[in-house]
Order: sequence, then C-alpha cells, then structure tokens
Amino acid sequence: MEISTGSSMSEKKIPEDRETVIEIEHLCKRFGENVVLNDFNLKVYRNENVVVLGKSGAGKSVLIKCVIGLLKPDSGTIRVLGKNVPELDHEDLDKIRTKIGFLFQGNALYDSMTVRENLEFSLRRQWIKLPQTEVDALVKEALGNVSLPHTADMMPAELSGGMLKRIALARTLILKPEIILYDEPTTGLDPVTAREIDNLIIALQKKYHTASIIISHDMNCVKNTADRVVLLLDGKCYAEGTYRELEEAADENIKQFFE
Amino acid sequence: MARIPEFIKETGQVTRFTGRFFSTGLKPRFEVKELLAQCYFIGYQSLPLIGLTGFIMGLVLTMQLRPSLVSYGVESELPVMVGIAIVREIGPVITALIFAGKIGSSIGAELGSMKVTEQIDAMEVSGTNPFKYLVATRVLAATLMLPILTILSDAISLFGAYVGVNIRSVTSVRLFFTQVFDSLSFGDLAPAVIKTFFFGFAVGIVGCYKGYNSSKGTRGVGTSANTAVVLASVLIFIIDLLAVQLTDVLGLN
Amino acid sequence: MTNQGENNIKLGLFTLAGLVVLIFSFYMIGKNHNLFGGDFEVKVRFSNLNGLIAGNNVLYSGIQAGTVKNVELLNDTAIEVTLSIDPKVSAFIHQDAIATIGTEGLMGNKIINIQPGTGKGLVINKGDYLKTRKAVNTDAMLQTLDKTNNNIALISEELKNTVTRINQSKIFEVLNDQELGSGLRSSLANMHQATADARDMAANLDLMVKGIRGGKGAAGLLLTDTAFAGNLNNAMQNVRMVSDNANQATIRLNTLINSVNQDLSSKNGSMYVLLKDSVVAGQLRSTMKNIQDGTAGFNQNMEALKHNFLLRGYFKNLEKQKNKKQ
Ligand SMILES: Nc1ncnc2c1ncn2[C@@H]1O[C@H](COP(=O)(O)OP(=O)(O)O)[C@@H](O)[C@H]1O
Ligand SMILES: [Mg+2]
Repeated sequence: MEISTGSSMSEKKIPEDRETVIEIEHLCKRFGENVVLNDFNLKVYRNENVVVLGKSGAGKSVLIKCVIGLLKPDSGTIRVLGKNVPELDHEDLDKIRTKIGFLFQGNALYDSMTVRENLEFSLRRQWIKLPQTEVDALVKEALGNVSLPHTADMMPAELSGGMLKRIALARTLILKPEIILYDEPTTGLDPVTAREIDNLIIALQKKYHTASIIISHDMNCVKNTADRVVLLLDGKCYAEGTYRELEEAADENIKQFFE
Repeated sequence: MARIPEFIKETGQVTRFTGRFFSTGLKPRFEVKELLAQCYFIGYQSLPLIGLTGFIMGLVLTMQLRPSLVSYGVESELPVMVGIAIVREIGPVITALIFAGKIGSSIGAELGSMKVTEQIDAMEVSGTNPFKYLVATRVLAATLMLPILTILSDAISLFGAYVGVNIRSVTSVRLFFTQVFDSLSFGDLAPAVIKTFFFGFAVGIVGCYKGYNSSKGTRGVGTSANTAVVLASVLIFIIDLLAVQLTDVLGLN
Repeated sequence: MTNQGENNIKLGLFTLAGLVVLIFSFYMIGKNHNLFGGDFEVKVRFSNLNGLIAGNNVLYSGIQAGTVKNVELLNDTAIEVTLSIDPKVSAFIHQDAIATIGTEGLMGNKIINIQPGTGKGLVINKGDYLKTRKAVNTDAMLQTLDKTNNNIALISEELKNTVTRINQSKIFEVLNDQELGSGLRSSLANMHQATADARDMAANLDLMVKGIRGGKGAAGLLLTDTAFAGNLNNAMQNVRMVSDNANQATIRLNTLINSVNQDLSSKNGSMYVLLKDSVVAGQLRSTMKNIQDGTAGFNQNMEALKHNFLLRGYFKNLEKQKNKKQ
C-alpha cells in the first residue's frame, strides 16, 4: 500500500511553491547481484527535515552516498540544487559538495588530528587562504553551536561517543551547508544524549534553514525531527507521509517500525 | 590455480592505481604541507631505526667477513670489501626492507583504518581529493626519503664497519675511508642510489594501494598492513634484480 | 602537528645531511678517479690490456698521476692507450719510464703503473710513447722452468759421474781436500733436492694451472682475478729468475766439467798442472760454493713458494690427500 503523495502534501503547512533542493528520480543501484535501490523517487524541499526509515541493510546509507556522489548510481537522476550529481565532473562535484553537509554513521573524524584541525580541514580546502582570525572565529562558532567550546585542542580519541557525534556535526556545519545528510545520528547513543542530538538537529535547522535527509530507525528521533517520513523498503519509496500518518497506517510493513 | 586470475586482476588494479598516481596525484593543487609532514614522519622519524640497523649491519658484516679474508691473507682488504658490499647492495636493500616493514605497514594500516572508518569518504565529501592528500603525499615522501635514508644508513654502516675493523686491528678513520672510497666508483654509487628511488616508490604505492582498498573491519586493516609489507618486500627484490640487469647492460658493473 | 615549524627544521637538517653525504661521496670518488684531469697526454702500446678501460687510473711510482683517456685497437697485436697525465706529475716522468698494467688493490680496477726508469733520460713531452714491459706469461714461465729442471737433472747426473771419477782419481790430491769434497757433495745433494723440488713444483703448477683454467678451488677463483695473477706473477718471476740462474750455473758447470773430462780423458798434462795450481783449486772451490749457494737459494725459494698464501691452500690440500692415501 502506498499513501498518496497528494493527501500527505495537503496536510503540510508549507506552501506549495516551496523550493526543491533534492530531486531523486528512478534511482537504481546494485552491488553485483544485490539490488539495493530499485526505482527510488524522492523530493526534498528547503527548510524541511525528511527522515528516511528502513531496516538495517535496506540501502539508506547507499541512498545518501549516491546523493553526495560517493557512490555512482546505475541509473536515475539525482538533482541537487539543480545539478545532476552523477554527471558532474570532479570540480563541479567538489563545488556542490561544499553546499552539502554529511554526518557519517561512524562520525569519520580524522583521528590523527585535533578537533580544531578536524574542523579547519575542510575550511582550509574550500577557500584558498582564509585569514587565520576568520578561521578561528568559524571554529569557535561551530563548536559553540554544539556547545563544546573547550574541546578544540583535544584528540578525537579523548572524547565520548556523544561528544564525537557533536564534533562531527560541528565539522559538517562549519561550511554552512544548504543541505545536511545525517546517517543515523543517534544510533549507539544513550537516550539522553540522543535527545540532545535531536534537539541540536532541530535547532540547527531553524538557525541555518537547511534541508535535511535524516536516516534513522530510532523512532524517538524520527518523531522529534521529522517533518516528513519516507519508508524505504525493497529499494523503493514504500510509504511517505508525516510521522502521525504513518503511525496510524494499517499496513503491516509500516506498523512494524512503530511498535 | 584459481588464484592466478585473482593475481592478474590485482596486478591490473595496482597498475591502475599507479597510473592514477601519475595522472591525478602529480597535478596541482599540491598538498605541500601534508607532504612535508609525511616526509618528516617517513624520513626523519625512521632515521633512528635505520641508523641502528645500519650500524649493526656494518659491524656484523665486517666481523663475519674477517675470518675468510684472514684465511686468504688479505685482511687489509676488509674495508674495501665491506665498503663495496654495503654501498652496492646491502645498504640499499636492507634499508629498503626495513623501510618497507616500518613505513609500508604504517601506511597500509593508517589508510586502511581511514578507509574503514569512512575518513577517506569524509575527506572526499569535504572537497579534498583524498588521493592527492593521502596517497600522492605518502608515495612522494617515501620515494624521496628512502634514498636519503639509504645514504645516511650507508654512512652509518661504514662507521659500524670501521668499528668492526678496529675490534681486531687498528685502522685510522682516514685510512679506512680512503680505502673505501678508493675502491668505489660512480658505477657503484650511482645505480645504488637511483634504485632506492624505485624501492621507495614501490613501498609507498603498495602501502597506499593496500590501505586505500582495505576491506571492512579490523581484520581488513591488519591484512592490508601485512600484505603491504610482504608485497613491498617482494617488489624490492624484483626491482633489485631488474636494476642489476640494467646496470649490467649499461656496463656500470 | 602543532610544532610544524620545528619539524620542518628537523626535516631540512635530515635532507641536508643526506645530500651532503651524497655530494661528499661523489666528490671523494671523483677525486680518486681524477675526472677533471689535465690535458697532458702520453701514449703507450700494449699487446694485451687485461681489461683496462678508459677512465682507469694511472699511477706514477704509486702516486695518482692521471687517467686512461682512450683505448684504440691498432691491429691484431697492438693496442694504443692514451693517458691523460696530471701536469704536476708529468714533469717527473722521464722518457725511459716503463708502463705496465696492474690492478688497484685486491679486487679493484685495472690501473697503469708507470715506473721511473734510470732517471737519466729526458722528461716526457706531450704525445710521447712510453716503453712497456710485457706482462709475464705464466705458461711460458712454466715451460722454461720445466726445461731448466730437465737440464739440471741431466747436468747433475753428469756432474755426479764426473765428480765420482775425480774423487776416485788419485792424481788430483787437491780434490781429496775434505772441504772441497764435502762441499761438492753437499752442493750435489742440494742440487738434487732442488731439481726434485723443481720438478715437483713444475708438475704441481701444471696441475694447478689446469685446475685454475677449470676455475677449480679457492685459488682458482682468486686467480681469475688478475690481482692475484699479479702476485703470482711476482712469485713466478722469482722462481724463474732462480731457475734461470741455476740453469746458467749448471751450464757453466757443465762446460767446466766437460773440459775437465776432456782433459782427463786426454790425460793432457795441462789439466794436472792447472789443478795443482792452488788458485784454480780455490776458484773451483768458490764455484762449487756458488753453486751450493745458488741451489740452496733455489730450495729456499721453493720452500717460500710453498708458503705463499696463494699456493698454501693448494699444498695443504696435496698433503691432506697424501695423508689420506697413507
Ligand atoms: N560498497 C559496497 N559494496 C558492496 N555492497 C555494499 C556496499 N555498500 C553497501 N552495500 C550493500 O548495500 C546494502 C545496503 O547497505 P547500507 O545502505 O549500508 O544499509 P543501511 O540501510 O543499513 O545503511 C547492504 O546489503 C550492503 O551489503
Ligand atoms: Mg547505514
């Protein structure tokens, strides 16, 4: 069963003419015999948080890696800010990537560098010769956003899981992206820390007006952060709607997530 | 037998990887700062280990050679023999092998764990070409640093040999080194130095290839580090063989 | 990575150290091989270069004097070698200096040794030809040695006969002189010993040379290196010299004995008179002594040759085999 897009949209408070930032059409991706995504379609608008829900191994990470160009889809288009990502060359891809933040499932902080160097790393590569004072200000702002201002000179190994996640988030945010892709931001964290992360995501979305795709199977996180929920099943967009709509759906496949 | 296609495939991949080094790795923008940092780590920080092994090598080689030279009554030729052996072959090859053990494994493990923890992806996402930042700098640093390490190791080995000569007899430093340099020619030193560039390149590229293509998990990282050292060591011997053939053809022997 | 500046200094020092050692090595090697030698050229013709190539060093009385500039094959027996000589050294080289091909160190490169001549000739000019000495040929040497041995054997046989006859004859009291008799005898004994040794030696050398040709044994390996060949050459030259001397001595002795024989057989009185003459007796005695000395020297040489480090192993092996057989 598929909940019609029309009905879900009509319930949204967001006006009809909102800007599309990500438009995924007929996306297919397979690894050998393993078909992960099969004709997947999704639109993400500015200023909204879309949560992609799915079982482990459903291909959620593959989906957002296709969006940022880490994986090349077999077919289909992924238009990000009007550009078709799979067809971009290296230079344009790098350009579009500065507008996309990506929070990795395992944080992927550079463990041989301090927190400051982690944050500065992408900065230094984006604009050639940014003055040191500006870099320092940006680092300070980013760390302030995640309320960890005193960790700048620590190594990632010295920080706890929740702190690492927040540092990773700060690193994602330092370039002021228009789109943020979160890969399971709360997985592996205790409920209290998970709430903090949720609140952070919401606060940052409000502050910077970003569009986000949040991948999660933590229902609390989904409930807190989602403007819209997409259920990924068998490589397809199985259902789409607000949290409430899906919660009330009678479909077995949807229900199992809400128990 | 089933491993032969696998082997050929891997050879092809390494070749591709090497090609990528030349096509993208050597193009601007250069990661100069990272290159210097890697040179510091790969070169400077390896010096104590390489120096120690070089010293012991020179000492032991001298002590081992002495009895046979004494039995031929040419003990006085000990510095010459040790000098030629160290400069031509033992210095470059042993240094390269130790270098492979230290640097090959560290590059393999470092890039392997970066790959596994998605740090390489993170780099790519942040607009940095990880191939340039990680691979090109390391390969270049290894290529440039091993020759210097070898030269210094040769010098330290010769000092070890000098100490070895002085255990049973007395030679002045000056006489020792005059004897050594008298017996050496450009044909001894130049090929020995030139081939170390290739040794360094092999160690760097193999370490990076193995790390960059590491499979998931801790096991994958360990395997990367291990196979990097093994493959690099084998390559060093193969290059050495080619080098000796080539110098032979060029008449430098 | 906070102290990047300091690290860069260390890295710089490290790199500089490597480059300095490299440049120093090249400098040292370049100095020895005199890459930038002067333009004073002299020429030498050899029939065999023994592997000498352009770039090899030229020594004058053991001092670095220049390099081999060019090697040119003139015809089937002559190779012209052009030497570039340091002008500082060339002022001391006279025209009668002799150039030979040798080896640098134990396993080093070929070199040209220029040995000063009598020093009476004129100083060499640019483009002059230096004299050469033919390198000693081991084969020829061994052949001579063999011939010499045969001669010694033959002569000593005759000598023995003659001396016995002289001993037996009562006419020549002077020969009964104990001293002379015993001297003669011991000289004969020495001669015998020497001949036997020499024959052994020749046979052994022959065997060894065959072994060497086949590249057998440590000596074989080493001898393929011309450095050892040089050493061996010296030893061989000594042997040859001694055997030549012995040869000459025996030839002289032979003529002497022949004449004595003739005199004796002709029973001509002149011989009697001569032998009675104490001066002649003294001369004969001193001749005998000379022969004795010579043969003893020859023996010593043989002994020395046995102890020569090159051949020592070989003789040791021979002894071992002998012991095994027993
Ligand atoms: N690089 C890859 N190579 C091969 N298979 C992959 C790769 N990445 C992901 N997959 C496969 O794609 C499927 C989806 O993976 P993933 O998107 O990581 O799952 P999840 O939805 O839990 O994030 C899995 O079955 C996985 O085996
Ligand atoms: Mg995932």
